Amino acid sequence: MHRKGFVRRFKALEILTEDQIEEIHKATLDVLWETGIRIEHEGALKVLEKNGCRVNYQGNQVYFPPRLVEECLRNCPSQFQLTARDPKDSLWVGDNRTYFGAAPGMTTVDLKTMEPRVPTRKEMYDAVTVLDALETVDYIMQYTPYFGFEGVPQVMAMIETLAAKLRNSTKFTAEGYSNDCEIFTIQMFQAVGADMFISCLPSPPLTYHRGSIEACLRAVEAGFAIKVGGGGMYGGTAPATIAGAIVTNNAELIAPIVLFQLIRPGTRIIVYNFNYPQNMRNGAPVFGAIECSLHTAIFNQTWRRYGLPTWDDSGEFSSSKGIDFQLGYEKSMNTLLPALCGGNGISVHGAIFGELTYHPFQAILDDDIVGMIGRFLRGVEVNTETLAIDVIKAVGPIPGHFLNREHTQRWWKSEQFLPKAADRLTYPEWKEKGKKSALDYARERMREILETHRVSLPLTPSQEEDIERIIREAREYYVRKGLI
Amino acid sequence: MSTDLLDDLQKTILTYAAEDALKLATRIVKEGIDPLEALDAMTLGIRQVGDGFNKGELWLPDLIRASEAFQAALPILMEELTRSGKERKNSGVVVIGTVFGDIHNIGKDMVATLLVADGFVVQDLGVNVAAERFIEAVKEHRADLLAMSALLSISAPEQRKVIAALQSIGLRDTVRVMVGGGAITQEFADTIGADGYAATAPLATALAKTLLDKR
Repeated sequence: MHRKGFVRRFKALEILTEDQIEEIHKATLDVLWETGIRIEHEGALKVLEKNGCRVNYQGNQVYFPPRLVEECLRNCPSQFQLTARDPKDSLWVGDNRTYFGAAPGMTTVDLKTMEPRVPTRKEMYDAVTVLDALETVDYIMQYTPYFGFEGVPQVMAMIETLAAKLRNSTKFTAEGYSNDCEIFTIQMFQAVGADMFISCLPSPPLTYHRGSIEACLRAVEAGFAIKVGGGGMYGGTAPATIAGAIVTNNAELIAPIVLFQLIRPGTRIIVYNFNYPQNMRNGAPVFGAIECSLHTAIFNQTWRRYGLPTWDDSGEFSSSKGIDFQLGYEKSMNTLLPALCGGNGISVHGAIFGELTYHPFQAILDDDIVGMIGRFLRGVEVNTETLAIDVIKAVGPIPGHFLNREHTQRWWKSEQFLPKAADRLTYPEWKEKGKKSALDYARERMREILETHRVSLPLTPSQEEDIERIIREAREYYVRKGLI
Repeated sequence: MSTDLLDDLQKTILTYAAEDALKLATRIVKEGIDPLEALDAMTLGIRQVGDGFNKGELWLPDLIRASEAFQAALPILMEELTRSGKERKNSGVVVIGTVFGDIHNIGKDMVATLLVADGFVVQDLGVNVAAERFIEAVKEHRADLLAMSALLSISAPEQRKVIAALQSIGLRDTVRVMVGGGAITQEFADTIGADGYAATAPLATALAKTLLDKR
């Protein structure tokens, strides 16, 4: 059993030729063997050396032979299940299925002032409830909806956020790493019988810090999946050219994949794209840039060749600071294009500016964007029934029409996507009903969800006890370490 | 002759020609030209680039490459300056670096460059700088200002550690501390006991001046 997501019924959009993809592949192998990757983890270096990599321990530099790279990529499963704590919410990742999910924000947005601020505990739990209710939210990312909430020490943020997600939702969720918090989040997932993945993040260019590798090794040893990704900024931490950035990014992603496959062959790997142009004024990433989708197109094409499921996380953000026109077009374009290019997971719901802000209100608006894109992915069925020859014959020219036909009744609802928070009224209706906009509808929908939605499978008392105990132990651990 | 060489040196900063900058600095030293004049010429160059950047005419790659040209010629001129026993007038001595566990250098480089353009003497310790190295450098260079960058929420607590270490060895009152980077906020800067926080590189140089004026 797994969530349906959306199944793409046509060939994925590809913007490079086979020869060009081959050139990128060769350049990637060249970087892996000639330039190498810096991995600041002695244990990892030893494993890699034992399996044929050249290692320079002084510089933590590893050089990957092409044959080993190709072999390890072949060992990665191309499709697999990610089990949610309620089986109906499990994911089947890969092939031509696309899931959409919620993306992170450090803070919430005060809807009165549009200023970011730390959410309250109630706002955190409410935001999770909204995500649990939205049909197009298939998963909830790490650091999502928020990095923590009021009164929670920074080192406990991810642990407390995970507790909120497990209590108020059954959907698949993931975690990041920070100051060993994965020790506790792994226990929490095990306590509720759910799968997860940890993100394996390079520090571009071509470098992995100890913390990232250490956290992932803990997850790999516990049998969890890994989402390898991240990326650089064009012209800053990656070449200024998108083709060059693809090469460094691919090399960065392949290095830990080789490591994880050597340690535990068959480890489930998702690769994800998180690359941005650099703002050449202030050095920050440019969120909502169209180049993200160009990168995504090539990224998907390359990794389809390698046979690994792809996730696209670069389109989830906008440079806009509020819920407005710019946010709408930037998010729509950078969600639609990755979907057309065959991304298996696309993070979108709720995120506003960069990773700075999230709002459930935006998640509701994004639910409609995703619904529209999902409708497009489903494509058009062509057969005797849908060609409707018999109905056309029966109706004929005017005064015939289709409104009174059983065929219409049978088909229209599955053919038309019906948005839940969009204004589709005629002008007189719109005037009469108080001139409401999508924002008004979203606000009403949020209220309704919070009044009526309840999680389908609450935690059992013993699971709740486990979560409480793990939170307590985490606190004690950080107090001992002097971090609280 | 010496004016020509100094003009050329200034030009290497404006054309981002690091190799030429080093060659010219070497020649200037060999010909016995006052290293202070050479440093002034380079500072003039980097100030022009800084102004261009602040006006929106130049971009980040311009700023960083000009800074690299400056840095290429700096050591040989500083060495000569030390040998001559002269002192360089400056706005203050700054020790700067990205904290341990963090290798993001772009923001830190921007701040360092703009500080140089504003006449500060900048000791750039680079990235992934351990607390002890910051402390040693503050002592060694008798720094007026310590500037720390952290881009990651997991590396931000390092800034607290450095400030605490300064306190424990009785150096906290000798040096102003400013912090910045993607993971830092004013609130965080306040809680760790920093003297100031700036969100952007131009604001950071303004802050540096304010902090040192207050001394």
